[in-house]
Amino acid sequence: MSTIVHAIDRRGALSLLAGGAALGVGRPSLGQGAAGRVIVVGGGFGGATAARYIRRLDPAVEVTLIEPAERFYTCPFSNLYLGGLRDFESLGHGFDALRRAGVSVVHATAEDVDTAGRTVRLSTGDTLPYDRLVLSPGIDIRWGALEGYDEAAAEKAPHAWKAGSQTKLLRAQLEAMEDGGLFVLVAPANPFRCPPGPYERISMVAHYLKTNKPHSKILVLDAKDQFSKQGLFTDAWAALYGDMIEWVGLSQDGKVVRVDADAREVETEFGNKHKAAVLNVVPPQQAGLIAERAGVTDDSGWVPVVPATFASAKVEHVYVVGDATIAAPMPKSGFCANTQAKVVAAAVVADLAGRAPPAPVWVNTCYSLIAPDYGISVAGVYRVMDGKIAEVEGSGGVSPREADAAFRKREADYGAGWYAAISADTWGA
Amino acid sequence: MSTANVAMQVGRTTRRAVLGGLSACVVAPGAMAGPAAWEGVPAVAALLAGVEPRRDGLALQLPALTEDGSSVNVTVVAESPMTADDHIATLHLFAPRNPSPEVAAFHLAPGLGRAEISTRIRLNESQTVIAVARTNKGEVRLAAREVTVTTTGCLVPSDQTTAGVMQEPRVRVGPSLPAEVRTIIDHPMETGLRQDSAGRPVPERIVREVIATAGETILLRAELFRSVAANPYLRFFVDGQAPVELQVTWVEDTGARVSATVQVPAA
Amino acid sequence: MGRMRAAFLAAIIGMPIATASGALAETDATITLLAAGCANCHGPDGHSPGAMPTIAGASVDVLKAKLLAFRKDEAPGTTVMVRLAKGFSEEELIALAEHFASLKP
Ligand SMILES: Cc1cc2nc3c(=O)[nH]c(=O)nc-3n(C[C@H](O)[C@H](O)[C@H](O)COP(=O)(O)OP(=O)(O)OC[C@H]3O[C@@H](n4cnc5c(N)ncnc54)[C@H](O)[C@@H]3O)c2cc1C
Repeated sequence: MSTIVHAIDRRGALSLLAGGAALGVGRPSLGQGAAGRVIVVGGGFGGATAARYIRRLDPAVEVTLIEPAERFYTCPFSNLYLGGLRDFESLGHGFDALRRAGVSVVHATAEDVDTAGRTVRLSTGDTLPYDRLVLSPGIDIRWGALEGYDEAAAEKAPHAWKAGSQTKLLRAQLEAMEDGGLFVLVAPANPFRCPPGPYERISMVAHYLKTNKPHSKILVLDAKDQFSKQGLFTDAWAALYGDMIEWVGLSQDGKVVRVDADAREVETEFGNKHKAAVLNVVPPQQAGLIAERAGVTDDSGWVPVVPATFASAKVEHVYVVGDATIAAPMPKSGFCANTQAKVVAAAVVADLAGRAPPAPVWVNTCYSLIAPDYGISVAGVYRVMDGKIAEVEGSGGVSPREADAAFRKREADYGAGWYAAISADTWGA
Repeated sequence: MSTANVAMQVGRTTRRAVLGGLSACVVAPGAMAGPAAWEGVPAVAALLAGVEPRRDGLALQLPALTEDGSSVNVTVVAESPMTADDHIATLHLFAPRNPSPEVAAFHLAPGLGRAEISTRIRLNESQTVIAVARTNKGEVRLAAREVTVTTTGCLVPSDQTTAGVMQEPRVRVGPSLPAEVRTIIDHPMETGLRQDSAGRPVPERIVREVIATAGETILLRAELFRSVAANPYLRFFVDGQAPVELQVTWVEDTGARVSATVQVPAA
Repeated sequence: MGRMRAAFLAAIIGMPIATASGALAETDATITLLAAGCANCHGPDGHSPGAMPTIAGASVDVLKAKLLAFRKDEAPGTTVMVRLAKGFSEEELIALAEHFASLKP
């Protein structure tokens, strides 16, 4: 075993030893031969996968999943709901299958973490002890970081960047919009959840408008000069939606500096004002707030992790996965949250058993749907190289710029296949 | 350069406002890198010329984490009354791990009313960015800030490039005083380090200077190098105590020039 | 998985060659983790609920041939697998083929 320790990251090895040192001292669940107690915070892509895979790898580990929602609605495919291609309920996933897999699911919010005493305090008032903690809290909005955009403003100009009532609000506004109206999407600078997400949303809104309100227009005001799968998106927009969509990047005065949600008006850096019929603001973000409470975030508001294990780089016995982490070049995607959670599950089980974790490999494929029969993707395979996460050279990349309709259709079908597969893999249904 | 009349325009209120506003911006000690971060950088050492810089009174604001090194926002703020007798005369920006560390040098006149400049820069990799300020009396200050630069798989760089010409200048003047001035111009800022799709080197072509003048007075002269991001962006202040016509001129390394004129305070 | 296979895999996956039997568990864990990445599209344990093919219990020869062809870009018209397979070594792809072939269809 000691030889293998060298194969993993220094910090990983250290926390492994520390884990061993904790045996027996005030940690009855480990000392008395049980495999250990793991608390997972967040029942989304990362958390549900981690809980499930820890139980799969070692059924002796007690796993408690903390998630306030009784049904989790996914952001993936919520754009298809906005486009009228899916009903809202098809985005929902319950937790019964996880319970059947032996995970105790508690519907509560984790309010605080005592990383020294290794306990989590819940909104129910209970305090639960853990041997290892896994956080997958996703993102929180940085309210006020964009002037005029606070929680009240989001009720008028929805973000719909967490799926649920916000998504329904945006859909209702689209439905109520008159033909000929202007839909404005405000896109943030990096890093943010789901880099291709705003552009898939634009595509799906365009599909809805083309079908139902063909005189309407779409304006994207972007705080960036380039975006994910840009060439593929812009080619398809021109081919499918003509001049309906206008994209304005940072250098062309696309950066919005002020939002007036009541007037549904935004102001850009160089003083241009745009009035929308429907205003969708994707605001600046940070790691889910519980990560900050647990002390695992850094200056940037995101969570640095040990690449090989996704253990917190700052706090012992805590692992973090998903959007909350600094995992680039891996994007903040549900797919990555799921594969990161599997690496964490293996690392936690090995850690509790005093073994070295297996060498990690992560995979990602982000599908985006531009029209019902028109899908595109970006893929990547990632490993730890020179102590950092890196994309394997020669792997990955985007769909070919030149491809026929059959190819785009197959990617659309595979996108739907992906959603079914990852849902089954994450929540069991 | 005649600074006398500009100096007279700086009233006490402005001075206090500058200082008050600044205290909130000064970087916490934790965010500063130790001396080691800059001692090994020849360009910085040359500028310091053996003088031990003060480590306060100058703040460097940059995101701690960026996923796009091709354009990173940076703001440098110095504590200064910006009077003729006592003002920041130059501000230098360095990115030591870029192919050429010098990013930009700004020459400031008191008429700016505020020693605060923002631009967008290129960062090749994670590194400690350094700012050096020098007052008219020769006092030197230094600030440093670590930035983590990553890229994501979903952000495959686009093959679209900006048209290779200098065009479409934009200048905006804010409503309050000192007046915030934002400027940008379309320009690829070719580094000279890139190859085109046929593998031929693309020659260096940059905007090498941006000059802001009020009548005869040069308020700001910015020397830009290849680490400034495409479509160079510059944000600065003009004290605006007396109304002036502000002219901003961009000078390309070919000698080509483009100018734009605005009223301060905004009409 | 045989002992030979395990040592072989340990070598190609970049871990020190293990001789002690305890190392078998480590290598198995590596393959389990490698295979878990396939579930995102091909479903839990390779049982696909959607458009991707189910790979659990498929013929080992077919799986090997396909994966290696993806890796060499010898499968025209393929969407993502040609991009993903290049992220794995031939030995890893063979181990994955054997893993999924051994599962219940
Ligand atoms: C419009 C849109 C489209 C997208 N499309 C795709 C796509 O096609 N493919 C893809 O791979 N990704 C996609 N994504 C990205 C994907 O949604 C995220 O990357 C993914 O949800 C990240 O998983 P996570 O576990 O980090 O966070 P989440 O899935 O958001 O889960 C976090 C969970 O933690 C819970 N939580 C937070 N704080 C607490 C607390 N204190 N106590 C208890 N529970 C807490 C929350 O309630 C939530 O359920 C899309 C995103 C958007 C916005």
